[in-house]
Amino acid sequence: MYLIKKNDILQIAKALSTEYQVYGPVIEPGSGQTFFEKVEDVSEINLSAPIPAAPPKHIVFPQADRILSYRYAGGNAPVEMKPDFKETPKALFGLRSCDLTGLQCLDRFFLGQEFVDEVYRSLRKKMFIVTNTCVVPFKYCFCVCTDSGPAAEEGYDLNLTDIGDNFLIEAGSAKGKALCEKLQLAKAADKDLAEKNRLVDKSITLFESFSTESKAWVSRVMNRITTGFAKEEVWEYVGDQCFECGACSFVCPSCSCFNVVDTATGDCSCDRLRTWDSCSYEGYSRMAGGHNPRKPVEDRRNKRFFCKLSYSQSKKYLRPGCVGCGRCDWVCPGDIGMPNVVKYIRRETTSRDQL
Amino acid sequence: MKQQPGVCTFCGTGCGHFMKVTGTAVERVFPSQNHPVSKGRLCVRGWNIHELLNTAQTINRPLIKKNGQFAIASYEEAIALLVDTLKALPPTAIGFLASPRSTNEEQFLLMKLARAVFKTNTISLSSDAGHRGCLNVLSRGTGMAGMTGSLDEICKAEFLLVAGSDITKQNPIVGSEIHLAAQAGAKIVTIDSRRTQIAKLSNTFLQITPGALKLAVAGIAKCVVQDGLIDSDFVRSSTKGFEEFSASLTQLSEQEITAKTGISIEEFKLVAKALSQAKTAMAFFSSGISGLDEDTISYIFNLFAMTGKIGKEGCGVNPITGINNLQGGYDMGCAPDLLSGFQSLSDQAAVKKFNTAWGVELNITPGRSVSELLAESPGQLKALVVIDHDEGLVRDAAALQKVDFIAYISTYKNKFMDHAHMVLPAARYIEEDGTFTSTDRRVQLSVKKREPQNDVLPGWKLYARIAEKAGAKWSYAGPAEVMDEISRLTPTYAKLSYKKLASTFGGVQWPCDEKNPDGTRRLDIKAAGSSISFAKVSGAFAVPAAGKDFPYLLMIGKAQDFWHQNNLMRKTFIPMREYNATLLDYPEGYVEIAPDTAKALQVRNQWQVKVVSPYGEMLLAVKISADVKPHAAYVPYFARDIIAKALTGHPEIFKQGEDATIPIRIEKV
Repeated sequence: MYLIKKNDILQIAKALSTEYQVYGPVIEPGSGQTFFEKVEDVSEINLSAPIPAAPPKHIVFPQADRILSYRYAGGNAPVEMKPDFKETPKALFGLRSCDLTGLQCLDRFFLGQEFVDEVYRSLRKKMFIVTNTCVVPFKYCFCVCTDSGPAAEEGYDLNLTDIGDNFLIEAGSAKGKALCEKLQLAKAADKDLAEKNRLVDKSITLFESFSTESKAWVSRVMNRITTGFAKEEVWEYVGDQCFECGACSFVCPSCSCFNVVDTATGDCSCDRLRTWDSCSYEGYSRMAGGHNPRKPVEDRRNKRFFCKLSYSQSKKYLRPGCVGCGRCDWVCPGDIGMPNVVKYIRRETTSRDQL
Repeated sequence: MKQQPGVCTFCGTGCGHFMKVTGTAVERVFPSQNHPVSKGRLCVRGWNIHELLNTAQTINRPLIKKNGQFAIASYEEAIALLVDTLKALPPTAIGFLASPRSTNEEQFLLMKLARAVFKTNTISLSSDAGHRGCLNVLSRGTGMAGMTGSLDEICKAEFLLVAGSDITKQNPIVGSEIHLAAQAGAKIVTIDSRRTQIAKLSNTFLQITPGALKLAVAGIAKCVVQDGLIDSDFVRSSTKGFEEFSASLTQLSEQEITAKTGISIEEFKLVAKALSQAKTAMAFFSSGISGLDEDTISYIFNLFAMTGKIGKEGCGVNPITGINNLQGGYDMGCAPDLLSGFQSLSDQAAVKKFNTAWGVELNITPGRSVSELLAESPGQLKALVVIDHDEGLVRDAAALQKVDFIAYISTYKNKFMDHAHMVLPAARYIEEDGTFTSTDRRVQLSVKKREPQNDVLPGWKLYARIAEKAGAKWSYAGPAEVMDEISRLTPTYAKLSYKKLASTFGGVQWPCDEKNPDGTRRLDIKAAGSSISFAKVSGAFAVPAAGKDFPYLLMIGKAQDFWHQNNLMRKTFIPMREYNATLLDYPEGYVEIAPDTAKALQVRNQWQVKVVSPYGEMLLAVKISADVKPHAAYVPYFARDIIAKALTGHPEIFKQGEDATIPIRIEKV
């Protein structure tokens, strides 16, 4: 554990920038919206910025990514194929714990199974992760319900906590420790850690009522969904409200579904693109012959919640696939972000009032 | 940090987004959280707009057709051909079809080009009928030719009426605002013949007989009068013409209302009561190519006037434009009889102002709408200049054959190019500054995010080159100067400038003038000290009836898988897949019928049937759905070619768009 003066915190980012492309929370001046973006200069980073509107997923899994380009002139001409991805060392500076948890979910999906995704691996490799403890939660946050915050517990190289005049720095890896030593940072005392713990405990009390009331309910709903006790009518009620925009998947730190399309770039050349996809789309599960096992919107909608609260993330890795960032709630035109769906399943809501 | 704010340019909602542009590629798009209307949301189209902007299916060079084939030409050559052709013709033989997708600056300059340079008033928008009807009613009733409410006040409305609009599919974020208002306690009432998503999200859904929307609204109005629910203070102090409207309702009997709408009078009474008891209320209906007719809009307007729900906070009669700059198109005077700001060509003072500013003598005889001319007097038009046309002039294909010269100006390739004799490319909207006016009169600046590809000219520059070639002296340094001219000549835009728009996040709503330099969120009767006039209504409620020979009533509408001919959607990946899913299942279109109907006809999903009407017949696949009532049937608009063929010789029916209700019988094939 180390300490650094609050005003000096960006020195760490500066030091990282010699070896890594640095990404961090940046506030867009016109609108006040936070993005997690690659910075040209570390002074753009604002560690007290609100939770970024979009998770850092796009860094390892871009919205539309050319993964291959190929050329084939026909006949006996050889096919020229060029994979199109490279490894660039990246430092994510000031990641929120929910987003780190999301990254870990993506890792399990893309790297932790039988087939390793080379594109993801190349984007994810050589990454230095600096997390930032949320001493104040944001309006939509409920990470306390999903075991993913407000402070990161593992998976970081460095974790920062704003404890007043200083940042407490915890090293989570040899790499992280080495950097702190190199920068000759002051050692922290037990009281600094105690202060961090106090602030985290306080932060937990500041969450919106949904989070504090429903803390147990997310796990109860996981149980209900997994054991088939969520009522069909509730899914229909939820499905009716789905606008099929795909936003929930796009802003979800742990959603990993993608579509692969080939698009002609010339008469004989083609780009293969990988783009984000969403289970809320009808075309997502439509099969070539026209059969669609999830045609009704309510079936597609419950797919998302099965995925977050039951399928592999939960059954295999024993944690929800949801990381409690609340972004799906913010972007959803149908008002069926995770918190509301948990509420509907819990209350068995199936209809609205008539005049 | 390369996230640049911008405006989504699909529908008329005007959602805010951010775009990350790297080099020539639009990497990704993200909703704008603090935008006053969209508040962090986008729909399936908006989330994937980068796919459209990255498409290679664009027009990159001027093209001139020689011996039936397009050959690449230089701008000089193409512009000379265009100008020489137009100059050789009498003005009445020249038509301009403006696009509701163009920026205000482009529309204004095209309007100027048509009137001041080529002396023709035959300029119209490709989706003219519906929105013009809305503007006529609102302008006569309130003096404001635009939505009287504001989208960012939907959350303040206690009662929301959705009249015949599949709003969550056409303008999803407006639909979302309505839904969120209801989640917070407001009441939604939807009147439609088909159970749409917003119908499912409503507190009350009146599933009326196809073609009975106007009567249903009149029915509610009658209940308001009968049950003493009129806001008499408001009617007395702030309106004119109530007696006449009220008298027209007395002729309407409860029996007729119920018989023709299929809804009991008690249900209308409940709606009337909820509407008048709510402190604030808004009405929503689609405008544009398949919008409501003027008479129906007049009834909606009058219903809201008599209950005091116009001209106050959280209130409004709100036409919702389907295409991003349709409202702007009318604001810029892309109509046969209008100058910018809904100033009439018959208004001598206005014409004089334009004459002085432009140094010309404008022709003050109104022109005609291009689509009307093509349908009714084919052959009169010898030359037609068409901008970005994705509504598909399929029904006019034969008439287009008779036009000697068609110039097409557009960004994206589409089938309309086949009709053209020459094609001029125009830059994408992110390649030049420009403003768009969304459905709630919100003017937003979309800034340039990259250079045009292949040295393609932006629209304003292209029009200026054409004007100069034709001998006019135009000297705009850029779109900002065009806006300066717009504001000088357009009272509703008087105090708008790029400077103001650039410094106002989320745009400025017109009227923006001396009195309201920061714009006007909504029509405010009290503040303006104005009054509103009840709209004249016909009192005629002919509802097509099903009979023995034609026992089902067919309605035509937009399917969720269809969005303005899908020309733009086809150039994307994800939306294309989504919009194609139904087309793949039903390549020749479908007729949606109720389960009971299917049972009676002994047909199953995807079986072919013959739909026979008094006007013609068509072969369609069956789609069984509980969203239509027995005795009703629904054909989505994407089967437009098929519908058009079946209705050949009956343009009056086709013209009714979504209002068209056709008695049919269905035969098993």
